[in-house]
Amino acid sequence: MSEPFDTHLQELRRGTVVLACLQLLRTPGYGYALLEQLERRGFATDANTLYPLLRRLEKQGFLTSEWNTEDSRPRKFYVTSEQGLGLAEILRQEWRALASAIASLHETSTGPSTDEEH
Amino acid sequence: MSTTLTERYISTTITSLPAPLQDDVRAELEASIADAVEARLDQGEQRSEAERAVLTELGDPGILAASYSDRPLHLIGPRFYLTWWRLLKLLLIIVPICAFGGVALGKLIEDVPIGDVIGASIAAGLGAIVHVAFWVTLVFVILERTGSETTLAEWDVDQLHEPRPTGAGRADLIASIVFGVIGVGVILWDQARGFARIDGHGVPILHPDLWPWGILALLAIIALEVGLTAMIYARRRWTTASAVLNTALAVVFLSWALTLLGHDLLLNPEFLDLAFVDNGVQPDTMRVLGILLVFGLVGISAWDIVDGWLKNRRDSRP
Repeated sequence: MSEPFDTHLQELRRGTVVLACLQLLRTPGYGYALLEQLERRGFATDANTLYPLLRRLEKQGFLTSEWNTEDSRPRKFYVTSEQGLGLAEILRQEWRALASAIASLHETSTGPSTDEEH
Repeated sequence: MSTTLTERYISTTITSLPAPLQDDVRAELEASIADAVEARLDQGEQRSEAERAVLTELGDPGILAASYSDRPLHLIGPRFYLTWWRLLKLLLIIVPICAFGGVALGKLIEDVPIGDVIGASIAAGLGAIVHVAFWVTLVFVILERTGSETTLAEWDVDQLHEPRPTGAGRADLIASIVFGVIGVGVILWDQARGFARIDGHGVPILHPDLWPWGILALLAIIALEVGLTAMIYARRRWTTASAVLNTALAVVFLSWALTLLGHDLLLNPEFLDLAFVDNGVQPDTMRVLGILLVFGLVGISAWDIVDGWLKNRRDSRP
């Protein structure tokens, strides 16, 4: 795929990973498992982007974390905080608004328009 | 036993992180890398292959560390770039010229050989360029790294430049003619009666031997200057031709003045004696005054030339 093509796609996807993480981490999860979950659900992300992102979200108070030492190896589990749930809701609303805006854009430019009758 | 690649990778990543973060990031990275390696082992890969692949995917530890600690991976970011660039351009015009001129003047007054004067002046100019570039950039890098919240003056529409008049108008023509006439009058008066009045009688400031050819040449230069201004007025704008003519006139005037000065033929020795030497000014001081006069002449002519080209450039913009 061409270079500018990739850049535009990346820019469009950038914010969606945050929303996906906040949503998936309603049930506690750890780094690598979350990476795989994201991949399966169509939000492919690089490990070197996700791990620092989780820490940033934690620092901003949207996630909380806890070390779990019961498993075979100690893992840091993240879970979405109250504040994070609020952010997820706002992001979701924004996403829906954008989706319908884009859909209407598509209708008016291709389909037969009723607006022009006015 | 040598350390594993994973250990090396993690140590490299966390060394540049703030101390309280280090252990936490180490433990988390260890688990994440081990998980990723395990997943690859389950698919039948060799351990060493899997480890390499996982670390390669994580990429340069420097970038990962910067990402963990929110450090910028650029020297000067968009917040400061334009301010840095504008300041640098301005200082790179002013400072090296001042350093070059200042050292040249100082060395000339010290009376060292001309080769030394040129060498020292060029070295000072180049040194000034390097220093300005380095220190200005360093200040901005520090601002960037310390995450300074300094808000540099916000841009607003009032900062847009009014297209400046370039001296192609009627007022410039009138000024040029008036000064031309006054100049011619002063020169002729100086030759006929003597401009300086010392002890009740007139002493010419310009050398008496300049009459007729030296004086006529000066008058011709003044006439051409006025003519050039008239031509620019007629066309209502500066052109490359007028800038070239302006440059030629400045060079002709400068060579006229410097040649005569060099042969002690510009200023009237009688006037110099009466005005300076008789009042206790030492010969050394006279030499320094001479050098300052040369610098003044060169500086004014150089500015005149540069100004002509700047106006030409401004007027040739659409």
